[in-house]
Amino acid sequence: MKKRRLFYLLWIPLALLWISPLLISILTALKSLDDLLLAPAWSLPSYWHIGNFATAWTIGHLGRYILNSFVIAGPAVVGTLLLSSLSAFALSYYRFKAAGLILMIFVGGMLLPFQMLMIPVYRFSISLGIYNTYLGVVLFHVSFQLGFCTFFLRSFMKTLPRSLFEAAKVDGASDVLLYARIALPLIRPALAALSILEFTWIWNDYLWALVLIQSDKIKPVTLGLTVLQGEYIAQWNVIAAGALLAAIPPVVVFLVFQRHFIDGLTMGALKG
Amino acid sequence: MRKVTLVVLGIVLLLGFAGLAKQTIVLNSYMSDPAPKAALEQLVQNFEAANPDYSVVVNTFAHEDFKTLLRTWLPMEKAPDVVTWFAGERMRYFASQGLLEPLSTVFGEDGFTSYFPSSFKSSCEYGGETYFLPQSWYWWGVYYRKSIFQSLGIQVPVTWAQFLNACDKIKSASYIPITIGTKYLWTAAGWFDYLDLRVNGFSFHMDLTAGKIPYTDPRVKKVFEYWGQLVAKDYFIKDHAAYSWQEAANYLFTGKAAMYLMGQFIFDAAPEAVKSDLGFFRVPVIDGSLGLYEETPIDGFMIPANATNKDGAKLFLKYIASKEAQESFAVQLGRLAANKDVAPPDVQAQQGLDMILASDGVSQFYDRDTNPEMATAGMNGFVEFMMYPDRLDSILQQLENKRLEIFGK
Amino acid sequence: MKSKWWAPYAFLAIPLTVYTVWVIVPIFRTMILSFTDWDGLSASYNFIGLRNFLALFHDRVFLTSLINNVKWLVGFSLVAVPAGLGLAMLFNRQLRGASVFKTMIFLPMTLSFVVIGQMWSWILEPRQGILNMVLRALGLGAIAKPWLSDPAIVTYALIGVALWRQISYSMILFLAGLKNVSPALVEAAYVDGAGAWQRFWYLVLPLLRPATIIAVTVNIIDSLRAFDIIYVMTRGGPFYSSSVMANYMYIEAFNNYRMGYGSAIAVIQFIITFGFIAVYIIHSLRGEEK
Repeated sequence: MKKRRLFYLLWIPLALLWISPLLISILTALKSLDDLLLAPAWSLPSYWHIGNFATAWTIGHLGRYILNSFVIAGPAVVGTLLLSSLSAFALSYYRFKAAGLILMIFVGGMLLPFQMLMIPVYRFSISLGIYNTYLGVVLFHVSFQLGFCTFFLRSFMKTLPRSLFEAAKVDGASDVLLYARIALPLIRPALAALSILEFTWIWNDYLWALVLIQSDKIKPVTLGLTVLQGEYIAQWNVIAAGALLAAIPPVVVFLVFQRHFIDGLTMGALKG
Repeated sequence: MRKVTLVVLGIVLLLGFAGLAKQTIVLNSYMSDPAPKAALEQLVQNFEAANPDYSVVVNTFAHEDFKTLLRTWLPMEKAPDVVTWFAGERMRYFASQGLLEPLSTVFGEDGFTSYFPSSFKSSCEYGGETYFLPQSWYWWGVYYRKSIFQSLGIQVPVTWAQFLNACDKIKSASYIPITIGTKYLWTAAGWFDYLDLRVNGFSFHMDLTAGKIPYTDPRVKKVFEYWGQLVAKDYFIKDHAAYSWQEAANYLFTGKAAMYLMGQFIFDAAPEAVKSDLGFFRVPVIDGSLGLYEETPIDGFMIPANATNKDGAKLFLKYIASKEAQESFAVQLGRLAANKDVAPPDVQAQQGLDMILASDGVSQFYDRDTNPEMATAGMNGFVEFMMYPDRLDSILQQLENKRLEIFGK
Repeated sequence: MKSKWWAPYAFLAIPLTVYTVWVIVPIFRTMILSFTDWDGLSASYNFIGLRNFLALFHDRVFLTSLINNVKWLVGFSLVAVPAGLGLAMLFNRQLRGASVFKTMIFLPMTLSFVVIGQMWSWILEPRQGILNMVLRALGLGAIAKPWLSDPAIVTYALIGVALWRQISYSMILFLAGLKNVSPALVEAAYVDGAGAWQRFWYLVLPLLRPATIIAVTVNIIDSLRAFDIIYVMTRGGPFYSSSVMANYMYIEAFNNYRMGYGSAIAVIQFIITFGFIAVYIIHSLRGEEK
């Protein structure tokens, strides 16, 4: 048991050290602007300025932005999971010549630095008339995440024993039924895991919201925070407060799905 | 897909028409700081009250993002109606591509100079046409801690020799003579601009930024000689490349550093307790035979050529140009209004205005006066010089190569 | 009831179409742009063949970026992967508070990178930054360097910051993989007299192969695609010394009005990444067959 105590003694301080930037963010969020400009970053605030959170919420319109983030991330995650499960099923259950090539196409799209897609995608949304709309951003996220999600879900579906499908087929099940009643339920943990990853990534997306959204009314929280970065002066205390508030939803999603998350990732890893 | 989109658009437009009898003016702005943002909102409200047929939608962006996005908005069919921007080369570049709307009808018969000082004219036009509406401007100066100067018995330096003297005294007393944050490069350009203006004069500087003079010219090198005097004696803060301008200002505010060559907005950022101790003086004179030139970046508005509601936009700009609008904005922010009928809002502003009125010419700032690509290369070169002064020759050669690439001969 | 031949295509129809339209076509568009001199603004541009690519080989900044990306690649694959594995092994126990540890490790991934970059900039500040203050307090003042303004070490400092997030990510991937290593199997090996190292190397590691493949692949891609940490903390400075391909491409394309040139950089980055991934995946697939 001494070993256990040693373990805690060593790793608790190290874990705290690990999250020290986050602790500094919290400290920063509780400072007044004068404190920020006059004292070093790691010093304690001269007084606990909780007002920053309120400022971020009201003047920073954080409430509206967080709502927008939900409106974008929610449907995007659902859409991505739906479409990628379809393509994953196609690429795992069926044996056909083009399968390898199509898989490589999905993987290939993951490799490019996405900044380069900015202009073509921007122009494309304008010509389709969905620039500066929720639909435009959601559609883009769904499309863009398809590469990784298809790859990911496919390796899970590959682990499902073929016999299950064969048995169902013998019973006269259609392919759609195989997908919906067998494959999907069995990879539920994987879907939960992917939901967390996708939600966090889309929630924290900055670049695509910047490119595809112009109007203040539909901006997600990532953009909303940077508006607090003034032309000359950055109010880091308010920004940090806002960022902490904005980080709550992904953390909540993580905590809620956590069990599935860890379990889920293992299924594919075992035989993938 | 196209047909469905068109039908949907049609319905939306119809609904739009039915729902709002008002015309919309879309304004994209980079005024994300809370004070200017609020001041702009005030102007918008006043405009809407005076013109009930119009409604102005303001979209705000972070400064750096705005610079990137503006280039994507301008060429597209449905560009925003009004955008904030800077005067100078940054604006002219777009005008030369035909992406901006001429503003002559905004000023009517009275013309530009009835609203604004004639010295601003050249920064706001291209090819004889005005494309830029100035709203506010600010000056640059050497901001200093009065208490440090007082305690060391230093007078405000007017000549270069006096300035070096002052730096020496400050350094001996264990203060940092000059603080600067060069992480984002432009602060170094401030030093270059001023030294160039002081050593070589206004027309030389304008020609240099226009790409007409080689960077390897001995007159350019002379600028770095003076600069080198400051670098060699370690008058600048150490490791300045690690600091943003704001972080470097920290040293000035906490009284560890004595001076900072900076724009007027540093005063906005200063904590209340420090404000009364902050003063500024004109960058010291090097060549007494030359005139006095200053940097006065001008901020304002433009109308994209592809805007959807140009008439509305022009009406809005006409309001912005007016004395009331300019005054309201300037008073709230302690800045100087471009409109010449507006008096400076406070003592500091008066001092700044006096300094400018006593000068013989104004420039816009390196990265607003020259081609953007040249600006990036130039500013990188300046910071490199500040860190490695013995690389001067190779730095100048590289800048010259860049200049030839961009401007041709 | 055999499946129709068109069944897979029916499933693939919508996803593949959407993906092609929104991702693949823009990629091709970018590739085409790399052969032009477009500035991103003008209505027209010219095709200039391979001139952008030839210019890249003489471009000092691009070559610096390339070398830096290799440093990132080495950093991520040689540090993030083993460290992630090590931490996963460490916290994969029935300990009270194990999930607290895991959550704490997950947190770096949740905060906006703009804020993270700023916080780390403050930590690494030469004079008042907490890292240097601690080093000086411990008498290690000699290594209290100007982390972000010394061209010789800035890239390593940035890699360090990025690793902070990357190790978290890798740890989570390996934690998942370790769930499959049945403790019973490991116990059996222990009883059989296998030492700790042997247990790890011959038993655990092979069972972790799928997680390892994902972790290594992800780290390769992320290291070659690194952008946000660099952009937020140094913009590639001081004077390009910390520049990486993605950062340089962004500045060239969007700051300097050289969209064609920037596209060429992106294409090269794509090819390099693809090369590494392909080599790695083929190698590991071959290993699997053994």
